[in-house]
Amino acid sequence: MRTELKKLHLTLLCGLIWSLTFSQVKLPKTPTVSNLKVVTPNLGIPKNTLSKTNFPISQPNGMSVYKQDRKRVVQQQNELKQIYAELKADRINYSLASYSNIESTRHYRNAFDQLTEINAGNFSVKEATFIIENAFFEEKMDYSEFEKVVKQTGDFLREKMDELGYDQNRNLAKNFMLFQFFSDTLQIKSKNLKHLPFKYDFEDYLGIKDWSKMFVSKLLATGKGQCNSLPRLYLILAEEIGAEAFLSLSPNHSYIKFKDEEENWYNVELTNGMFTTESMILQSGFIKSEALQSGIYMQQMTEKQLLSQLYSDFAQGYARKFGYDPFVKKVIDKALKLYPNSITANMMNSSYLTIQFEYVAKQVGINPRNRKDLQNIRNFPNIVKLLNNVNAQYNKVDDLGFEFMSAEAYQNWLASLKETKQKQDSENMKQQFNIKLKKTFKN
Amino acid sequence: MRKLLLLLFLIFNCFVLSAQNNQYLYDEAFTTLSEMLEEKRPLNFKKAVFTVENAYLDGLLDTTFLNKKINFLKNLSIQVRQNRNLEYQEKDKIKVEKYASLFAVMKDSLLMINQNNVKYIHLPFNYDFEDVFGHKDWSKMFVSNLLATNKGNCHSIPYLYKIVAEEIGVNANLALAPNHIYIKHRNVKNGWYNTELTSGIFPIDAWIMASGYVHLDAIRNGVYMKALTDKESIALCLVDLAQGYQKHEFYDLEFVIECANKALEYFPNYVNAMILKTEAKGKKIENILFSYNTDFRSVRKYPKTYAIFKEIEKELAIIHKLGYRQMPEEMYLDWLVSLKEEKQKYANKKINTFNIKTN
Repeated sequence: MRTELKKLHLTLLCGLIWSLTFSQVKLPKTPTVSNLKVVTPNLGIPKNTLSKTNFPISQPNGMSVYKQDRKRVVQQQNELKQIYAELKADRINYSLASYSNIESTRHYRNAFDQLTEINAGNFSVKEATFIIENAFFEEKMDYSEFEKVVKQTGDFLREKMDELGYDQNRNLAKNFMLFQFFSDTLQIKSKNLKHLPFKYDFEDYLGIKDWSKMFVSKLLATGKGQCNSLPRLYLILAEEIGAEAFLSLSPNHSYIKFKDEEENWYNVELTNGMFTTESMILQSGFIKSEALQSGIYMQQMTEKQLLSQLYSDFAQGYARKFGYDPFVKKVIDKALKLYPNSITANMMNSSYLTIQFEYVAKQVGINPRNRKDLQNIRNFPNIVKLLNNVNAQYNKVDDLGFEFMSAEAYQNWLASLKETKQKQDSENMKQQFNIKLKKTFKN
Repeated sequence: MRKLLLLLFLIFNCFVLSAQNNQYLYDEAFTTLSEMLEEKRPLNFKKAVFTVENAYLDGLLDTTFLNKKINFLKNLSIQVRQNRNLEYQEKDKIKVEKYASLFAVMKDSLLMINQNNVKYIHLPFNYDFEDVFGHKDWSKMFVSNLLATNKGNCHSIPYLYKIVAEEIGVNANLALAPNHIYIKHRNVKNGWYNTELTSGIFPIDAWIMASGYVHLDAIRNGVYMKALTDKESIALCLVDLAQGYQKHEFYDLEFVIECANKALEYFPNYVNAMILKTEAKGKKIENILFSYNTDFRSVRKYPKTYAIFKEIEKELAIIHKLGYRQMPEEMYLDWLVSLKEEKQKYANKKINTFNIKTN
């Protein structure tokens, strides 16, 4: 079969060569008197007639024929490759397979519709959080129950502030109350109420085995949480008692920022119940100056940015439960629209584009992880475009100042916060708060 | 007799001219730098630096010698590159190889052998701990001084690095820290990373952030730790020009302010230019008050001085808001040395791009 094909090629080639020689005959010039020549009978007709054309006229040596043939064969192979590529290109599926055929994805689509109705300038963190967590639990949670717990906690906080004599109009007082609620044992003796501090849950703190470990509902049920759920609950309770507090990110981490009436900012670290200074956060060593310039870390989030963060969270939940599909992309795009520099959304976008690119590359038999194999994608302009997108996205993440921090480095940093000096700083800050708060009490 | 008179006349003329020469050179340097910024002439960092140094040195800068030296460094780095093979295999390999060879030329001792098998050692540039800020001798800050003595500071070494980098066809971004300049590079594998030439270490950003003199707002606003564009680097030269200018016995405060304004036009958050400007304005007030036979205590008495005083106050508020805090000069050296002492903590362990392949 193959040799036959080659023979066919060879005859075809020879034919082509012949036609080439034929077409190279110059057109006769318009005769003028000066260049008139005697017409010889053979002019204009190739000397070799069709019957002799199995080989070119000037019989060259075998080597050069072989070389020429090889060259042509290679050229033809490339052309064939291109033709196949074009044929294949028509059949490539550029978008990832959707999981929408799975029944339980319905809950996520419902939730997305609910989230899009939210007003980015003014929304309830409590509601948004509930929608997100409820989608994961296939809409089996009861909102009124969730609301009740939050309200009761709010009442508890207000009462405690009364008992302590805090000025309830002051942001500092409310935030300090919240901080104590998270980190100390609080009691209201008259009503025999007691609340124990929340604990940091070291087990599966990234939610790799069980994504619901990241949830506020889990925190409320078990009293244990991590750097995602603790600040979130803080925001929900702040909303409940009318305190102003902001979410802020650092590598692999999130914490709370709030300010007092004199515009002094404070950082609340809820995983170990401390006030942190900026240098403690910087000590992780994974914050680049570009990250501060682009504002991805250590910057209080606006409402809009917070909503974007919630969307990213939502997309992550879906991706963990089902996997990456076009729905994830839809949610990420929404998050990026709200907050183009969001590091979480940009990281997810990087993952999505990479997975998509690899999926498409494999369809045409190219191993995307193999540098040499990857060269072959140049026959597929659309796939090249995808690769360019991936690279552009990685560039953006670099520009934003992202640096990968390993889980081990993260744990070490968290542990370092508990070192004596840092603890001392935090205690000093707490005492200052007490002084500041008591002052107003006396006034 | 006539000849002698002529000679005397000429000599006399020379003195008069040299006094004017100085201002002429500075004006010319200012024009050259401005034209680079305004894109009226090609942007050339080497030319900008040497123009500034030439003005301070009364036009006596030996550019032939300097160009020869720079050419030597360029060729040396090319040699180094050709004789090495890096582990780094990303697609920007050539660029990284150039960075690595340049770093070796600046910071490593290199053994060279010529055709006659004679061995030479090229020594790295060293940090000069004496008169770091050029208080006694301003020319200590100069690239020409570095090339002549092999000793330099955090001003001349990164400048030379950038100049040679551009000669070998790669870019190098200067970056600022309090009282300090270092280099920022970017590659595919590590994103942005720092090259610290005074100690020859690649420090992580936390080193500068933890110095205690960098307010986070200063970083956020790009006052510090930002990879400077080529135009911003020329703005640096403009401030250098004005600083050198002020070391002369007689100078015109308006020229200083003009330099600062031009620099700020192209690098609006350049704190050193702002400080230069406010200081010049302060001196202006002093001069005016001196002419009134009084001193700073009566600054509010005269509308003319009070207006300038108000301006200064406003500008200082902006400087503070940008996050600038003054770093005492003694602290600077402690901090600079801390990098070597706490290398384990602050060295960027990911930068192994310059590792040489052994097989």
